[in-house]
Amino acid sequence: MTPSQSAEDADLAGDSGRRLAGEDLTELLAIVRRVVGARVGSLPIAEDLVQETLTRVLAAAPSVDPGLLEPYAIVTAKNLVASMWRDDDRKRRNQHRAADLRAPESPEAQALIDEERSAMASALGRLDEHERALLIEHELRGTDTRTIAEEEGTTPGAVAARLSRSRARLRVEYVLGLDSGDPPTDRCRPVLLALSSADRRRQRELDAATHLFNCDFCGRLSEPLLARGQRQDGVLRIPIAADPDIVKARGSVRELAGRLGFSRTDLTVLATAVSELCRNIVRFAGSGELLVELLEEPRPGVRVTARDRGPGIADLEAALRDGVSTYGGLGLGLPGVRRLMDEFAITSEPGAGTTVTITIWGKDPTT
Amino acid sequence: MTQTTSGQHLLSELVAHLREHRTKLREEWAERIQQAHLLTAMTPQEMAAETTSVYDNYVEVLETGSVEALQHYARDLSERIIPRGVETHEVVGIVLLLRDVLARSLFEKYQRDFGLLNQVLDAYEPAANRIANTVAVSFVDERERVIRQQQDAIRELSTPVLPVRERLLILPIIGVLDSDRAKQLTEQLLAGIRRHRARVVVIDITGAPDVDEAVANHLVQTVDASRLMGASVIITGLSPKIAQTLVTIGVDLSKMNTIGDLQGGLEEAERLLGYAVTKKEDATLS
Amino acid sequence: MNSGPALVSILRQGSTLIASIHTALDDSELVRFRTDLVGQIGEHRCRGVIIDVAALDVIDSFAALTLRTIAEMARLRGARTVIVGIQPEVAFTMVRLGMGTGGIPTALDLEEGLALLTGGADGDRRRS
Repeated sequence: MTPSQSAEDADLAGDSGRRLAGEDLTELLAIVRRVVGARVGSLPIAEDLVQETLTRVLAAAPSVDPGLLEPYAIVTAKNLVASMWRDDDRKRRNQHRAADLRAPESPEAQALIDEERSAMASALGRLDEHERALLIEHELRGTDTRTIAEEEGTTPGAVAARLSRSRARLRVEYVLGLDSGDPPTDRCRPVLLALSSADRRRQRELDAATHLFNCDFCGRLSEPLLARGQRQDGVLRIPIAADPDIVKARGSVRELAGRLGFSRTDLTVLATAVSELCRNIVRFAGSGELLVELLEEPRPGVRVTARDRGPGIADLEAALRDGVSTYGGLGLGLPGVRRLMDEFAITSEPGAGTTVTITIWGKDPTT
Repeated sequence: MTQTTSGQHLLSELVAHLREHRTKLREEWAERIQQAHLLTAMTPQEMAAETTSVYDNYVEVLETGSVEALQHYARDLSERIIPRGVETHEVVGIVLLLRDVLARSLFEKYQRDFGLLNQVLDAYEPAANRIANTVAVSFVDERERVIRQQQDAIRELSTPVLPVRERLLILPIIGVLDSDRAKQLTEQLLAGIRRHRARVVVIDITGAPDVDEAVANHLVQTVDASRLMGASVIITGLSPKIAQTLVTIGVDLSKMNTIGDLQGGLEEAERLLGYAVTKKEDATLS
Repeated sequence: MNSGPALVSILRQGSTLIASIHTALDDSELVRFRTDLVGQIGEHRCRGVIIDVAALDVIDSFAALTLRTIAEMARLRGARTVIVGIQPEVAFTMVRLGMGTGGIPTALDLEEGLALLTGGADGDRRRS
């Protein structure tokens, strides 16, 4: 390794790799360099890809099983190389890097296609025929969406949407393959797919959050899938068990949301809603937890999930009914919380517990 | 490995070529810009200065591979030219023209060796695309920032909180209220109450043609929130239609202090503040 | 628990009690505050009570309920209560959450609150 390279490595490690030991990183870096180098040589773009890979791996490191780190790095590197063909994804995340993303024609690229094909074979095998054909046509042969759309008599947008669904499925199958285990429940695969495709609506429909909470298998596999699009360092878990926890929780949430540049009013609104939810946990379930996520798309936002395994609410409708007086409904403050928030969802099962998810969106990002 | 070395070698050869012919190529580029009627808002002197800077930055990116300096320059340039009405297509246009001018010059230089030409272009193209993209994105970012700033300024102008006299604020609502604006208006009013230590607020909605249920609801919330801060609220200019809307959403109008017009509202405000001496004595007696 | 800096202070000035909350209180602390304050109202036979909540960055349903309860108990003991110092964001949030102070008079700050308790004219303006 040349001196300049090691200086760069140190830089990277100092930047975001505090949670990884230096030697692990060096080892990982070597692997990633090898994977990327085998595919694109050392064209200027190669270093970009190596850096991009490491950034993602480091971002995911705290939430990924250490044993998964190396395969994850390899997968990430391969995926990134593969995605050189599709500019959309990278351009969106990495506008400043603006790499040239034309279909490669060099022998290295051909070698990559071959290798990629074998590595992806099992995952591809699980896709349906149409998805497989589409992915091979676009990702491996490099045919652009417009050409495919013309051939099929549809629009590029429709092809892009199908591609993105197929990619999401491929990622799920790939991760499932790496884990070499079958999902324990029927819901696992749909939930993972919804996570992989970052489809929020579907995630809510499936109540993915609750599933992840209860299913260790998906909890583990979801991390690399989520690490793709969302930063993980914005997630905070706060246990709630007693009165003082309520005050602490709303302080933490306010602090975290403050980083997104929320207005004082929005911070107060959020802290108040959190206060109400925590009180319900302490009063009715004894204990539970708060999960706070910072969201980035389509706007900065904060999502708080309050869950407990308490007695649950028998009559949800009554609990949400707004009375004429302040203490309408069942006195859980839920109608008020719902009014304060941009999004509100509740699930409850008598005897099993209650999960309330609230979201508040900020203004469009301002510089 | 050998491929890269040669790639890097080609790139540095290319950079040397572009440096050597800097004056000629830059002039050719400026001429093309003129022919295409781009950047017409700029004087020839400015044009000469800016094209030279862009050219040098361009070559530097080719040489170092780092777009940071260019990005910085592009932002700065955008900031200067946006107020003069330069459009996105012009900025993208000039960068593409430069790409084109340089590519032509490379064609000329390497036309004898087709294989070499291909390699040179292979090395040149990605970097050139990257530059075009960087400049365009910087420009658009900057433009969006300027637009946002203007929008904020317009918003603030349209919801002024006016301190009329000690302890008295007037909030004239003019134009269409949507929920975003209504929320912002409330925030400004509440902050104004604290800043001016207001005891009475007159909200005049004569100038608000349309108040739907959501906004009416918001109006009621504004009144209640002002009260929580210790200020009394008088609403003036309430049209029968808006009054109807308020009743529809279940507002008890008898609990709102509503006065027909602004003049009457101000008189009532002064009475509440105790400026009318006789009224004050009345009040003390009651 | 009580060894730290005081969470609240209750001072008597003439026939008025001035209670200031210095920091965010949790529910049990709010309950203790209510008990202490109501106890002192009876003890000193006060005619007025001012509660300064300027330090509260959140007034949720329980805090609002506590304030209303204090005012109601004070009223039964012959004292008027004024809440002062509600922050703009807090006021807005309380209203959106669907809570008020249930007709308890409010004032901008301590000074205004005292004026409200002593001046008849000011007392009149809040009949709505």
